[in-house]
Amino acid sequence: MRVLALVVALAAPRSVPVVALAALLAVPVVALAALLAVPVVVQAHEVLHEVRPGGAVALKAFEPGGEVLADAPYQVWSPADPGSPWQTGRTDRAGWLSFVPAVPGSWRVKVVEASGHGLDVLIDTATPAPPPAPAGDPGAAFVLRPLLGALLIGALFGGLVLLYRKKARR
Amino acid sequence: MHLPDGFLSPQLTLPAFAVAAPLCAWAARRRFGPSGAEALPVLGTLTALAFVIQTIVIPVPGGTSTHLVGVTLLALLYDPLTAFVCEALVLVLQAVFFGAGGVTVLGVNALALGLLGPLCGWLVFKLIRPLGERVAAFLAAWVAMQASTAAVVGVLWLQRLLDPAYFPMEPAVMAAGMLLPSLTVAGLLEGGYTLLALSLLRKANLRGLDRPTA
Repeated sequence: MRVLALVVALAAPRSVPVVALAALLAVPVVALAALLAVPVVVQAHEVLHEVRPGGAVALKAFEPGGEVLADAPYQVWSPADPGSPWQTGRTDRAGWLSFVPAVPGSWRVKVVEASGHGLDVLIDTATPAPPPAPAGDPGAAFVLRPLLGALLIGALFGGLVLLYRKKARR
Repeated sequence: MHLPDGFLSPQLTLPAFAVAAPLCAWAARRRFGPSGAEALPVLGTLTALAFVIQTIVIPVPGGTSTHLVGVTLLALLYDPLTAFVCEALVLVLQAVFFGAGGVTVLGVNALALGLLGPLCGWLVFKLIRPLGERVAAFLAAWVAMQASTAAVVGVLWLQRLLDPAYFPMEPAVMAAGMLLPSLTVAGLLEGGYTLLALSLLRKANLRGLDRPTA
């Protein structure tokens, strides 16, 4: 710093305060030294990332027939702030969305499709997730659901017919 | 087409329940009482058939899907209130046992799909029947599908006006996403199904058919 002041004193006109000029020239020197000494400062404009396998909740939205809700708008609400969405976005082309729960509890996920289809579910992140179930057979559901429904309706109407016949006999 | 839970606020679901539940109970007592017992086997079969065809998902270009309703046939054979009770039963079973369609929105779904659509279809059928029963049946079912879809679109649009958090989709996108499949694929298939089923039932001349249920 003394050398710098001496150089400035020899080069500068008499009217300029020597100390002020020395301080002005010292700023870039000090800044350069700081940059070299602290590398983190150099990375101030870089976006860092962190990978945490298994830390996110992944949800796939699909219809009973197996058609996925691709590119469908979704919203995620945190249990800590149910008033405003924690995350919004669109499902990917395979119908998946994901979020990282910041707090444990019941996270609400709503997926909306333009056709009026969609889902609104609560996902409890406090309890550990069960191991992924084997993919269901859409073919079985395709047959079982209508079959069971038709049987229930048949039983209901059949019961009514029997009841009325029994009443009529009396 | 029937709405799931969470898309409508209590401001809409509660009034719909208040209208649909008593109306359904009253219609069930009138139409499914002991005096209408003879029609019950046919009604049960057609209701089960409506349940089955509502579970069949029809893919539509654009990545979405649709399905038929199938109860306009009951309105044409009997009356719109009979169709309303049968569709309400189908919706309750779907929501409670199979998780298809919401429980809180049962009133809205029943009024839109079970009453408004079949009522419009029945009116069209009565108006056009002199021109030919087949044409009338086809058009009635097509109109019924459009009326039901338009009602669901209207309710969702109203919900967005009341509180967009329940249904954040843009009204224009939602209307296009629902009405286009309905006007084309679903409407035409519903018309075809109703026409075919009505023709077969007329030929079969089943006992209890075309007889007032009460």
